[in-house]
Amino acid sequence: MSNWLGRGLRRGVLTTRYPFDEAEMPDRYRGRVRLVEGAPAQAVLRAGSVCLSNAIEVQNESCHLRMSRCFQCGACEREAPEAVRISNDFEVAISDGEADAARHRLRERMRSLGRSFMIRHVDAGSDASCDQEIQALFNPFYDINRLGFFLTAAPRHADVLLVTGVVTHSMAAPLRETYDAMPDPRVVVAVGTAACSGSIFLTGRDVVGPVHDVLPVDVRIPGAPPAPLSIINGLWIAVGRATAHLAGPRR
Amino acid sequence: MIDARRAAAQAAVEGVRGAIADGGRFVAAFYDKEDDVRQIRYVVAGKMGLVQTIGVIGDDPIPALSADIRAADWAEREIRDRFGVEFSGIPEARRLLPPSDPGSYRRSVAPEVSTVLYGPVRSGIVESARWVIETAGEDFIAVYPSMFFKHRGLEHLFTTVDLQRATYVAEHVSGATAASHAICFSLAVERALGIRLAEEDRAARLVLLEFERIHQHLDALAKLADDGSLAVGAAQTFAAKERVHRLLAQATGNRFARGAIRIGGTYGDLLAALREVCARHLDEVEHEATSVVDGLFGTQSLLDRLIGTGKLSRGLVTQYGSVGPVARGNGVSTDVRMTADVLLPIGEGGEALEKDGDAFARARVRATEIRRSFFIVRDALNADLSSVAPSHAAPRSGIGLARVESPQGELVYFVRVVDGRLARVAIRSASFANWPLFVHTLPGNIFTDFSFIEHSFGLIQAETDR
Repeated sequence: MSNWLGRGLRRGVLTTRYPFDEAEMPDRYRGRVRLVEGAPAQAVLRAGSVCLSNAIEVQNESCHLRMSRCFQCGACEREAPEAVRISNDFEVAISDGEADAARHRLRERMRSLGRSFMIRHVDAGSDASCDQEIQALFNPFYDINRLGFFLTAAPRHADVLLVTGVVTHSMAAPLRETYDAMPDPRVVVAVGTAACSGSIFLTGRDVVGPVHDVLPVDVRIPGAPPAPLSIINGLWIAVGRATAHLAGPRR
Repeated sequence: MIDARRAAAQAAVEGVRGAIADGGRFVAAFYDKEDDVRQIRYVVAGKMGLVQTIGVIGDDPIPALSADIRAADWAEREIRDRFGVEFSGIPEARRLLPPSDPGSYRRSVAPEVSTVLYGPVRSGIVESARWVIETAGEDFIAVYPSMFFKHRGLEHLFTTVDLQRATYVAEHVSGATAASHAICFSLAVERALGIRLAEEDRAARLVLLEFERIHQHLDALAKLADDGSLAVGAAQTFAAKERVHRLLAQATGNRFARGAIRIGGTYGDLLAALREVCARHLDEVEHEATSVVDGLFGTQSLLDRLIGTGKLSRGLVTQYGSVGPVARGNGVSTDVRMTADVLLPIGEGGEALEKDGDAFARARVRATEIRRSFFIVRDALNADLSSVAPSHAAPRSGIGLARVESPQGELVYFVRVVDGRLARVAIRSASFANWPLFVHTLPGNIFTDFSFIEHSFGLIQAETDR
């Protein structure tokens, strides 16, 4: 007979203290991608030319990197290292700001109900990795139960909707139905670059588009897939405990 | 001309039928259109590897293989539904994709039998798919899969990007098994264009494939533990999986080893990075993985739920052309790593085969493979590699067919490159090959067995639907 309790005790505490303490991804990890300030325009153009999801936009004199479109393949940095820097910064969540009111109400309710949030997940057309990273939030290394997040089987009980994947034609209606079944206030979090922006699928004829084409989205967490720490960061923003910020590169 | 085409198509189909009668395994039927000639490329696995037979599509319907070969059912229905090719004699009239209106499944059966729609949105963290379940209470009477809710048009997407960046598209077919897809796709292109890999790149790719097998097998076992209400066992198994992802993130920059494979090799000095990270962490990762698996197989309450659940017969497995742990759980050998046309032969131990064909047998296959994968990783990292110079024959056109053993089983890519661009990419994933058999495991079981059987198959919807 296996002694699971003994095994668990021998391992000690594995759980990260994030978001209360700092956490770090490995040096090589491809997290946030930035354009180098003052990089030659030609180099930026070269970096943009190898981007499959058009994350690097060059318009007239200004250029811009849209993290929501980036799937972190690293091609741009290899092509033009003088124009692009990829850091291991995992706090890449983007808040679109409009849903502050819903977040505020959720936060108020959290205070009165003892800080617990129910999460519902819908796969709208994912590549399966984002879903596995959401699953990983419940492993002992991240244990998001400690932050008050719990998975619920019923949309009627859900406060937070996590959507993975670009929305396909067949999944648009089921996704909408889940959202409609959720009580207000509710927040929607797009998990993964495909959910955030449509990624490489935007030119495809078989998809509707990113989640915000179907539902109002509060927080977007890009990544292919986003690391569990990135998702915790996004959830923390979604429930009004943190603000989306642009942390400096960590390497 | 037309008569000649009809005769040729019939001859092709008969040829495939003959190859299967001689012990071949139906692998795939790929639609292609080359110089305005529409054709079906049948792929059969025999003793000498994969054999292709081309059937040209004329004005007449193509005689359906699936009339008597069940393994061809999904392949032919997909070609019919996606490309409008007419077949004569497909036994299953129902559309495969896009998913049908649920009403089309309701049959007039006995009044005590009700039809339940399960999905596409299900509870928990689950990929989207629908099951149409006929039941009279607890028992499954019949179950129909209704999938392809996640069809994203990936095969088409390949043809819109340039060759060198197309590996990233392959990684989007199934992000959870991105290495298998990127490597299999690259192998197909390398075969088409006569590119020979450096030994270091072959070894590094092999290591990524084995790590992928380890994390996906742990994922399947953790979900089985969870189904068995073994909360601590599930948590510890997911923790063991997490350690693999952390190792991969350190070595490759991505937790699923994405962005590491390029056509003709790997990016950066991948083998050196893997060696460096494994020198520090492999012992611990291996200890955690193997000891947690031992723990699961020492927990009787879990084993009781697996033994005898979702039992398959060897005959069904062969008829449906199943692959991977599903086939090996019934003693059917399909491990691509045993064949010569792959990266490096893996030697020691042979294939992990079980006899009983139930959820327990499939879980045992995974447990054995996790252990062996660590051996293979060590072998590849420590191998004294001969310095074969990579070569690039560099024709700009060609066709390539390649397969790798993904965690779910045999994965096959077909590519046709014309003037340096992808004219056609077709994918036969292991999940696509195994789902048709899944529903046959259910009758005789009860509702609460569903998740055990599903997770004992351990398939991925994303690579099925593409």
